[in-house]
Amino acid sequence: MPKATVDTSRRNDRLAAWLIKGCGLLVIVAVIGILLLIAKVALPLFFAPSAERLAQAPTEFSDGVSVERAAVSQTRQLDDSGSITVQLVAGNQLAVQRSSVATDILGNEARSEQQYRLSDPLPGPITVFWLGRKGQNLYAGTDNGWLVRWDLSAEGEGRLVDTVEAFKDHRRITALTTLLGDNSLAVGDAQGGVTTWMPVTTPGRGEDKQLTLIHRLPSSNGPVSLLLASPRDKSLAAIDSHGTIRLVHMTTERLLLTLKAAMPVESASFVDRGRQLVVAGADGTQVAWKLSVPHPETSLGTLFGKVWYEGYSKPEYVWQSSAATDDFEPKLSLVPLIFGTFKATLFAMLFAVPLALFGALYTSQFMAPSLKGRIKPAVEIMAAVPSVVVGFLAGLWLAPLLDTHLLGLFLAALLVPSMLLLTIIAWRPLAENTRIGRRLKGYEFLGLLPVVVLGLWLSGQLAPLIEATLFGGDLKQWLYSVLGVRYDQRNSIVIAIALGFAVIPIIFTIAEDALSNVPRNLSAASLALGASRWQTAWRVVLPSALPGVFSAIMIGFGRAVGETMIVLMATGNTPITSWSLFNGLRSLAANIAVEIPEAPLGGTLYRTLFLSAVLLFVLTFIINTAAELLRQRFRKKYGRY
Amino acid sequence: MKNYFKRGEPMVLVSGATLAVILFMTLTLMAVILGNSLGYFWVKGLVRLQLTDGSLVMGQLTDTERHALTDAKRQQLKVGNRDLYAQDFRWVDEAEISGRDIPEDAYLLERREHGNFFGFLKELKDINGAPVAADHASLLKLHREVLTQKEDLAPIKSEMSRLNQASERLRLKILKLEYHDAEANSATIARLSEQREQLTVAFDQLLEQLNQRQSVINQASAVFSDANGTTKELALQELVRIYQPNRMSVVAKAGAYLVKIKELLLDDPRESNTEGGLFPAIFGTVMMVLLMSVFSLPFGVIAAIYLREYAKEGKLVQLVRIAVNNLAGVPSIVYGVFGLGFFVYGIGGSLDKLFFPERLPTPVFGTGGILWASLTLALLTVPVVIVATEESLASIPKGIREGSLALGATKFQTLTRVLLPMATPGIMTGLVLSMARAVGEVAPLMMVGVVKLAPTLPFDGQFPFFHMDRKFMHLGFHIFDVGFQSPNVEAAKPMVYVTTLLLLLIVIAASSLAIRFRNQMRRKYTSSHF
Repeated sequence: MPKATVDTSRRNDRLAAWLIKGCGLLVIVAVIGILLLIAKVALPLFFAPSAERLAQAPTEFSDGVSVERAAVSQTRQLDDSGSITVQLVAGNQLAVQRSSVATDILGNEARSEQQYRLSDPLPGPITVFWLGRKGQNLYAGTDNGWLVRWDLSAEGEGRLVDTVEAFKDHRRITALTTLLGDNSLAVGDAQGGVTTWMPVTTPGRGEDKQLTLIHRLPSSNGPVSLLLASPRDKSLAAIDSHGTIRLVHMTTERLLLTLKAAMPVESASFVDRGRQLVVAGADGTQVAWKLSVPHPETSLGTLFGKVWYEGYSKPEYVWQSSAATDDFEPKLSLVPLIFGTFKATLFAMLFAVPLALFGALYTSQFMAPSLKGRIKPAVEIMAAVPSVVVGFLAGLWLAPLLDTHLLGLFLAALLVPSMLLLTIIAWRPLAENTRIGRRLKGYEFLGLLPVVVLGLWLSGQLAPLIEATLFGGDLKQWLYSVLGVRYDQRNSIVIAIALGFAVIPIIFTIAEDALSNVPRNLSAASLALGASRWQTAWRVVLPSALPGVFSAIMIGFGRAVGETMIVLMATGNTPITSWSLFNGLRSLAANIAVEIPEAPLGGTLYRTLFLSAVLLFVLTFIINTAAELLRQRFRKKYGRY
Repeated sequence: MKNYFKRGEPMVLVSGATLAVILFMTLTLMAVILGNSLGYFWVKGLVRLQLTDGSLVMGQLTDTERHALTDAKRQQLKVGNRDLYAQDFRWVDEAEISGRDIPEDAYLLERREHGNFFGFLKELKDINGAPVAADHASLLKLHREVLTQKEDLAPIKSEMSRLNQASERLRLKILKLEYHDAEANSATIARLSEQREQLTVAFDQLLEQLNQRQSVINQASAVFSDANGTTKELALQELVRIYQPNRMSVVAKAGAYLVKIKELLLDDPRESNTEGGLFPAIFGTVMMVLLMSVFSLPFGVIAAIYLREYAKEGKLVQLVRIAVNNLAGVPSIVYGVFGLGFFVYGIGGSLDKLFFPERLPTPVFGTGGILWASLTLALLTVPVVIVATEESLASIPKGIREGSLALGATKFQTLTRVLLPMATPGIMTGLVLSMARAVGEVAPLMMVGVVKLAPTLPFDGQFPFFHMDRKFMHLGFHIFDVGFQSPNVEAAKPMVYVTTLLLLLIVIAASSLAIRFRNQMRRKYTSSHF
């Protein structure tokens, strides 16, 4: 052979080797790349906020929200063209002045004025008061740590709703403000503490809600002199007497930023839709910052812990990403979703694992070989059924069917196994030492198939009779009225069956492979020693194949955790944490599919969804890696591959 | 008896029973899909029911239900005429029915909008608006005439769409010139604008012409009445097909069945996807899967070759195997999220900034499209190809490699000339299995380019023929969308079942093919020993 040809082919060989190696390693790069890239999108959720001091304070205060320390009167515009003004007057009283302009059909304006004083006896001298932005609630703090709340929504009078001893040590209340949405009251005190309060329904108080301490925010060093709520979100700036400004977020209780004005602050304001903060000292000097607080509403606490949200009566895990109003408090707890994921997976695995494992054991150990060649491909094709098909049938066929035949299902769960048991006992004379019995070896399941069908049919026939006699004709109604259980049409039973159906073939095939690959001589030895075929399968083959079987279960588990379409279509996608079989759920995966079309690029919701994708990735990564390691061990032991 | 239990025979039967349950579930799935979809295209006869309150109901019997307690029967009728009754289905109690007959002259009209119409022919007007004899033969004749006339409009329509696209191309050209340097290119821009203006004028003329002829065609109409005599005038061009189901023979019905299957496979959808054909969805699915294979096949095969032929067993190979298994096990929705973040917003966004800055903020590649969908699915299905290829390479006896190497071939030559040809069935298995997986995958596609209704196919006669940036329709998403997001789920259900059957047939055919390939491969090499 000419030397040139040899050289060329050698060079080609080396080149190809490099290329192939590179391509092989690219698989690792792909996996790591996927994780890194989705994590990169999720990570800015936890970035620390920053602020940049502006050389010159902005002169435009157009949409600014500002507070002044020395203010003795506060005015708010009312919705229906009018205004309300509250003033602190001598004698520890608050004077309310309400003016409204009514326009009749002809366009004539009628102006009316009302004035009254709130003369309720107070527990101490008022140090600070705050009129809610909608002009309905009036809050006051006293010298000795009491909070007072009036309802000004009725015309002509103010009703004292609440008098709360906010601080047991009777510290002086120095600043008040309501946060965006006007539902929560932030209270600053003389010891530098900042707390938020919210009216909560308490037993024994009837209609009126009682101001309750909800969040304790990071405190300042000196007495809080000013509180300023952000017009963007539920955060506020707490300014102490030394001129230190702390930007804190209510829901997360996070200290976002600490800024130093280096002078006593007399007034403060958010400018540019909350993106800039301007403070002014007594001499009129102004200091301004450009704030960069990308995702203030997220912290590990809100993602994974219980949070007391506005309008709730206790701390809870809630997922509610959007609402009709802008001043809505986003509730992005991943706990209900993680719960839903595991609930769906658990129920599905409870349904699928026994069926798949025993089925695999039967197929690999007892079934006639000629039949095995047909059953295995059938199950493999079952694995190829797209999940959207399973989900569609679960949602639009199984769920309505269960809705009318719920009792039938429960009955079948009793009837089918007991009928099978009877058949099995009846089988015995046939199985032992008759020619038919020997012939049937390896084909038993075909004989049992009609029994399953019969059992189902029988329970379908019996259920209406039992329902009529025992449950007044409607089991769902009975469940609700007697047990107090709410029944959703798309519930966890549907999910268990549908998701179980989807993972059965996966577990089945892998487990069957593992069981079949146990060397034949092991079971032959066992049988030769006089063990029965079941004893051999159960005590010899199964323990040997255990790593493979475990890895089958884990891979099935991983598949169930990440399954999207079935869960999306067969549950009501309600993010609740309830173990009830009759309720729906929302899983992490389905949540991503539901919410991501609505999530603006780069927003908190978008990044939170990426974070839940990271969680799913990490979870399945751990499961799959463990499964693969188990399988590699198994292979080393028995040598295939 | 005790011995029987001790030896565990009953447990064998229990495990047999679980297998029976699994098979039962699979059979039920098939039966439900077949039972609900096969009958959809059969033209069912119309029944007219006389109710005790004197009114008449006409429709197709769809369901009978027995009340558990009272044992009273009730029947569900598909009454159609959605524009008149607002509902497609109606339940009638058996007790309410005082008489029933099968009217010979009842019509079943398939319409472009509002679903089917069931009723009787009353009046007929031809293209000039003049009344003609209202009988079946002239109705059919007139309908055929109208359809032919409508067909004649097709050249005008295609010319209009050509003009429209040419005008759009000019718009983009102008936009680009303006973006780069409006001053320097002002002459060109003016020229192009003028061209565009001319196109618009031509377009408007054609539109005028089209409208005129449409209105002429629209004059041909028929008045139908429902069972109770409520009349409805329908333009003949709105009717897709006209049947008199009670007069049709079984052969005629079978013919109609085939015609409808042809429509399903080759026509565009109607009525927000709940009727008509599936052609764009089938086309989109096939094209996406083919495009995906172009990416996943080479990569998967090379990775498998690395694992089996080039890598030395050790930590690194173990890592690669773990990675492969993770690629296979990571939830598909995570791929969707990755595709959205990396392909669509990452690469797509950068491409837009580089090549189409003049069009921003309207994205070209920075939004879901068939290219990104294919790439995302390629990543998802690579492990399938790897595993199948590896298995087939492993089944080739060692002796063949050694023989080739002993004859002086390099490793690469052995690979390309000996091993790969032998492993082809296995590689085909992987390819087909990966296609089957991709056909059924929906969750990631929802984020990277699948839409409910795509106005254009991703491949057409317009330059550059393959439009990688276009969104597309997909059979699996069609099921989800029509079954769960359409306003009238009950009426849409049959269509969903049909789509499901089609999808399932594709997947099962592909899987069976793959399994057959694999068994061939196994049989070929396990029987011969070297």
